[in-house]
Amino acid sequence: MELLLTNLAHGFGVALSFQNLTFALLGALIGTAIGVLPGIGPVATISLLLPITFGLPATTAIIMLAGIFYGAQYGGSTTAILLNLPGEVSSVVTTLEGYKMARNGRAGAALATAAIGSFFAGTVGTVLVAASGPLLTQVALSFGPADYFSLMLLGLIIASVLAQGSVVKAIGMVVFGVALGLVGTDVQTGQQRFTFGIPELSDGIGFVPVAMGMFGIAEIVLNLERPEARSVLTNKVGSLWLTKEEFRRATPAVLRGTVVGSFLGILPGGGASLAAFGSYMMERKMSKGRDQFGSGAIEGVAGPEAANNAAAQTSFIPLLTLGIPSNAVMALMVGALIIQGIQPGPRMVEAQPDLFWGLIASMWVGNLMLLVINLPLIGMWVKLLQVPYKYLYPAILVFCSIGVYSLNNNVFDVYMTVLFSVFGYMCNKLRLEAAPLLIGFVLGPMMEEHLRRAMLLSRGDPMVFLQRPISATMLGIGFIALALMLLPSLRKGKDSALAE
Amino acid sequence: MKINEKDLMSGLFLILIAAVGLWLNQEHTLGSARRMGPGYMPLMVFWLQIGLGAIVLLASIFSDGEKLTRWTSAEIASFVGGIAVGTAVWWVLKSTGGFFGQTYNAVGTGMLAGFLVLSIPQGWRILGVINAAMCLFGLLLEKMGFFAALVGIIVLSCLAEREHLKKPVGILGCTVFLLVMCWFVFIKQLDIRVNLWPQL
Repeated sequence: MELLLTNLAHGFGVALSFQNLTFALLGALIGTAIGVLPGIGPVATISLLLPITFGLPATTAIIMLAGIFYGAQYGGSTTAILLNLPGEVSSVVTTLEGYKMARNGRAGAALATAAIGSFFAGTVGTVLVAASGPLLTQVALSFGPADYFSLMLLGLIIASVLAQGSVVKAIGMVVFGVALGLVGTDVQTGQQRFTFGIPELSDGIGFVPVAMGMFGIAEIVLNLERPEARSVLTNKVGSLWLTKEEFRRATPAVLRGTVVGSFLGILPGGGASLAAFGSYMMERKMSKGRDQFGSGAIEGVAGPEAANNAAAQTSFIPLLTLGIPSNAVMALMVGALIIQGIQPGPRMVEAQPDLFWGLIASMWVGNLMLLVINLPLIGMWVKLLQVPYKYLYPAILVFCSIGVYSLNNNVFDVYMTVLFSVFGYMCNKLRLEAAPLLIGFVLGPMMEEHLRRAMLLSRGDPMVFLQRPISATMLGIGFIALALMLLPSLRKGKDSALAE
Repeated sequence: MKINEKDLMSGLFLILIAAVGLWLNQEHTLGSARRMGPGYMPLMVFWLQIGLGAIVLLASIFSDGEKLTRWTSAEIASFVGGIAVGTAVWWVLKSTGGFFGQTYNAVGTGMLAGFLVLSIPQGWRILGVINAAMCLFGLLLEKMGFFAALVGIIVLSCLAEREHLKKPVGILGCTVFLLVMCWFVFIKQLDIRVNLWPQL
C-alpha cells in the first residue's frame, strides 16, 4: 500500500511536469473533438498522430495518445445526447435515453450526468490500473514462452468471439492479420519472407499504413457514400444542474456501471462499447426507474457512460502488464511503444517506471481536465458539431497523407496506405471486421517468436502447451469461449447486444 | 437457393489469399517442430486460414443473408479497365528514365491512372477519387514540393463530394485554409523534412 502511494506520487511528479500536462490537455482536447464529430474515431486519429509522436519522449507520446482515447469517450456522449447521433461507437446506447432526455428539456442534466459519471468511473478505473498493475506484472514475470503463446492465442480468440457478426469470419481476419504480420525478414534466419524484393518490406508491413488505410481513408470513402445524416440542433442545452431526484437515481447507476465497465474493459476484445451495452442491459433490468426506459431515464445515461469510461481505463491493464492489446486502440498503443523502442510487457514497470506510473497518474489528471473541458465549455463543442463533413474530410485526408509520409520520409508508405484503404473498403462491403485483423497483425510476430522458443525448449513436443498449468488454463478458457459461441441462444444474445 | 453472398465472397477471398501465400511459402525452409524454419509458421497460418475460409464458404451456401449490390456493366468495365490501364502505365513507365525511373513514381503514376479510370462510373466515383488524390500527393510531394502536393490532393479529393462541384468557392476556401494550417502544424511546429517548393 505504502509502495503504491510512493509510486503514484512518483507518477504524479511525471504527469504534472509542464510538458506532459500540456500534451495530456492536447490529447484530451483532440479526443473530445473527434468524439464529438461523427465519422472519425479514436483508431483513425491515433494512427494519424502516431508518426507525429515520433519526436516526443515516449512517456509524453503515450500520455497524449491515451488522452485521445478516453477523451473520445467523453466527447461521444455530447453528440449522442444532443443530436441522437453516436459520435463514437461506445456512445450508441447513450442515444437511447440521452436524446429522449434532451427532448424533454433535460439535455443539460444528461450531459452533466454523463460527464460526472465518466469522471467517477475514470477515477475508479485508474485506481484499479494502479493497484492491479504491479500485482499482475509479478504473475506475468513467471510466464514462459509457452504461457505467452497461449495467452496471446486466448486474446485473439476472445477478440474474435466478441467482434460483431460471424465469429468464424472474425477468426479468419485475425489469422489473415497474423499472416500479414509475418511479412518481412525472419528474425532467426534473416531470410526474406513475402517481400517481393521490395526493400521497404524487409522491416515488415508498416503498422501505420495498415491502420490508417483501413480505419482512416476507407472510413472517409464510406462516410461520403452515405448521404450525410443532417440533423439540426434543435435542443437547448439548458441547466447543467441535476435535480435532487435525478441525482438520487443516477448515483447507483453510476456505481453499477463502473463495476460492469471495469470488468468488461479488462477482457481482451472487450472495451468501451461492450461495457456500455452491458451496463444498459443491466440498468434496464435492475434500476428503480426501469419503467421509464425509452422515455428518457437518467439511469440509461449514467450507467453506460460510467461503464464505457471505466472500460477505457481498465483496458490498459492487459497492455501495461502483459504487453497484450485488448482492442484496436491498444494495438495502436503497442505500435506507438514499439516505434519508441519500448517492448511492451511485464518488464515495463521496472524498466520504464516513468512511463508506467506517469501514464496512470496522467489518466486521472486527464479525466479531471475532461470534466472541465466538457461541462463549462459545452457550447464550444456544440459549435464544432456544425462543421459539415464536406470541409472535414479533405482535412483528415491531408493529415493522414502527410503523417504517413513523415513516418519514414518515403512515398512508399503513402501507396501502401492507398492499397489498405481499398482493402478496408472491400472488407466493409463483405462484412469482414477490420479490428480483429489489426490485433492479429500486432500479435502475429510476437506469437511466432514465443511459439518457436517454446517448441525449442520442449524439444519439439507440442504437449508443453497443455503441461504448463498457466498455458493449459488459457487454452481451456479459449476453448470454452469458442464452444459457448456455438450455442445459438448465446450467439443471439451477443448479436442483439452488439447490434449498432 | 438462398446464399449469403457476402459470406460466400469472404470465404473465397480468405481461401484465395491463403493459397497464394502457401504457393509463395514454398521457397522458405520449413525446419522441424523443434527448430522451426521461416516457412513453418506461415504454413500453419495459411492452412488455418484456408480451413476457416472453407467453413465460411460452406456455411454461406446454407444460410440467407444480405445480397451484394450488383455491379452495373459500367462499373465492371471501369474496374477491369482501371486495373488494365494502371498496370499498362506502370509497365511502360518503369523502364523509362528520368522522373518515372526514380523511387516509386512509376508505380504511383500507374495507381493514379488506374484509380481515375475506376472513378468514371457513379458507383466507384468516391473510392476512385479519394485514392487517386492520395496517389497524386505521393507523386507530387518530392519533386514538386509540399505546397503543390497539398493543392493537388485537396482539389482532387474535393471533387468526390457533389456539393463542392456546385460551389467551387468552397474548394478554394478549403485549400487556402488547409495550406496555412498544414504549413503551421507540419513545417513550423513539427519541422518535418520535405521540400516546400518545386525542385527543378
